[in-house]
Amino acid sequence: MFSEIKNWVRVNVRNLTLTLFMIPALAILIIFQLIPTIWTIWISFTDMALIGKKFLNYSFIGLRNYIEAFSDSYFWLSMRVTLYYCLASLVIRFMLGLAAALYITSKKFKGKRIMAAVFLLPYIIPGAIHSYVWLSMLETDYGTVNRILVALNLPPQSWMYERLTESIIAINCWAGYALAMLVLVSALTSIPKEYYEISDIYGASKWFKFRKITLPLIKYPLILTLILIFKEDIDDFTYAYMFTGDTPYPDYRTEIIALYAYHKAFSDFELGFGCAIGFIIAIIVFIITLIQLKMGGI
Amino acid sequence: MAKKILKTIAEPSFTAIGYVILFLLFAYTLTPLVWLFITAFNPRGGPYLEIPKEITLDNFIRVFTGERGTGGTGTAAHPIYMSRWIANSLFIGFATMLITVLLSAPAGYALSRLEFKGKDFLMTAILLIGFMPMTSKMLPLYRLGKILGLIDNLLGVAIVIASGTIPTQIWIIKGFFDHIPREIEEQAWICGCDYLATLFRVVLPAAGPGLAVVAFLSFLSGWGNFTVPLIMIYSEPLYPISLGLASIFVHNPGEIGLAIDYGSACALSVIYAIPPMVVYYIFREHLMKIRLGKIEIR
Repeated sequence: MFSEIKNWVRVNVRNLTLTLFMIPALAILIIFQLIPTIWTIWISFTDMALIGKKFLNYSFIGLRNYIEAFSDSYFWLSMRVTLYYCLASLVIRFMLGLAAALYITSKKFKGKRIMAAVFLLPYIIPGAIHSYVWLSMLETDYGTVNRILVALNLPPQSWMYERLTESIIAINCWAGYALAMLVLVSALTSIPKEYYEISDIYGASKWFKFRKITLPLIKYPLILTLILIFKEDIDDFTYAYMFTGDTPYPDYRTEIIALYAYHKAFSDFELGFGCAIGFIIAIIVFIITLIQLKMGGI
Repeated sequence: MAKKILKTIAEPSFTAIGYVILFLLFAYTLTPLVWLFITAFNPRGGPYLEIPKEITLDNFIRVFTGERGTGGTGTAAHPIYMSRWIANSLFIGFATMLITVLLSAPAGYALSRLEFKGKDFLMTAILLIGFMPMTSKMLPLYRLGKILGLIDNLLGVAIVIASGTIPTQIWIIKGFFDHIPREIEEQAWICGCDYLATLFRVVLPAAGPGLAVVAFLSFLSGWGNFTVPLIMIYSEPLYPISLGLASIFVHNPGEIGLAIDYGSACALSVIYAIPPMVVYYIFREHLMKIRLGKIEIR
């Protein structure tokens, strides 16, 4: 009887201790993540402005910000830029990542470690360096890129103005293709060699091996890579911001959706509207993350 | 016969194309970084890639002494606090690391050992708790910081960054604890260890590699973070390196003139890039494995 009580106490003390272990982390998460999130959602239902009377005397206006956003032609313009930016980034990052992964895993090319280190470099150096290194590289008169173009007898381009969208895509891809490479390398190297050896015994063709062995086994990593890339691109506007500043270009050439939300909130001072767009992005990201979790553990 | 000729031509030309693409990929990846590296040692650095006539360490010395550039293509446009920026980044990095490890390790352990209803839900919720993009959380975070007295406070920045990285780190550390068999703990109890002694003498040493990974990853997210200091730090001597670099280059986006002290800015970013590179080099095996899991780390 006594030992049963002792055991019961012991188990409960253990569970209580473990529960207490979770409290500090959860508290920090709730204060600095959950509360700002809910606060943002609340602001998105009000007409709060960053300056003037409306900063304090704002009122609840329901879904009007959302209705306004969906009937706003600039919103759709910005969506179109976002689509172009995301699709181009997705394709280029994936292709470059695939190429890099194939070089690292192929038997023909030597120096895998060095290649892997080089391909990873842009991905691992801090993001603040990316933007300004490329700001200098793409400078119209003195920049390295235009100097190389001239040296190759090609016409220099106005990277900072006319080709701005492409410049931003190029930077984004430069900084991020290693993500696709990492996932694909680990997927490709995890395929057991025996599969290929056995199919060699049966005289299978290269195409057959690719279609029946490689592709099915890297299908999930492939989809996961695409999702990860898309998720990174849609809510990160650092590069677009670095090349745009605080007011959008008249034709919205760099105005990806996250930057549009920022400009609306902090340049046009329409905080409620900006938060509404932020929430729309958040819902997109949320759905994508849920899909990713569902597919999970590859 | 024709097939044989085709094969003898096709194979080498494929290899040649392979090398050409590899070269282009290398050029794309490395040119900006080569510029960065060379300009850091060039006494007369500019936005263009050139082989310096002499190599100097003056740029690095200037970073630490805080003198204005006298050589180069011009003098710095505004006062330089570079050595203080480095100290600030170090402080934020280590504070983030400490907070993250102290909070996420117990939580990860508890989530690994406790069994309760809705555990999967809690794990997913932890991951999704801060799903709102940073753009729209800016104002709530700023006002929250103001209420809690965390504006212009490096510790406050570290706490907010930690709250952003804790979800991922909990997932990682839980994975490491899951791999430590419970039998080891039970044996320790049988041998008369009490609960806390078991934790400190048996569990923590066994989870050492996991703790190291979490520590280094959280250090990196504090070290490289840009958005959180952007929201919370306003006085220039308190800038971390990321904000400092941006403040040098982005005052006039699109029209960087020659009035930038490229030499010391590049020296600063070389210093800035070294810790992440070292960490990735030491932990590359671990990082590959983690990346294969459900979540992505940056």
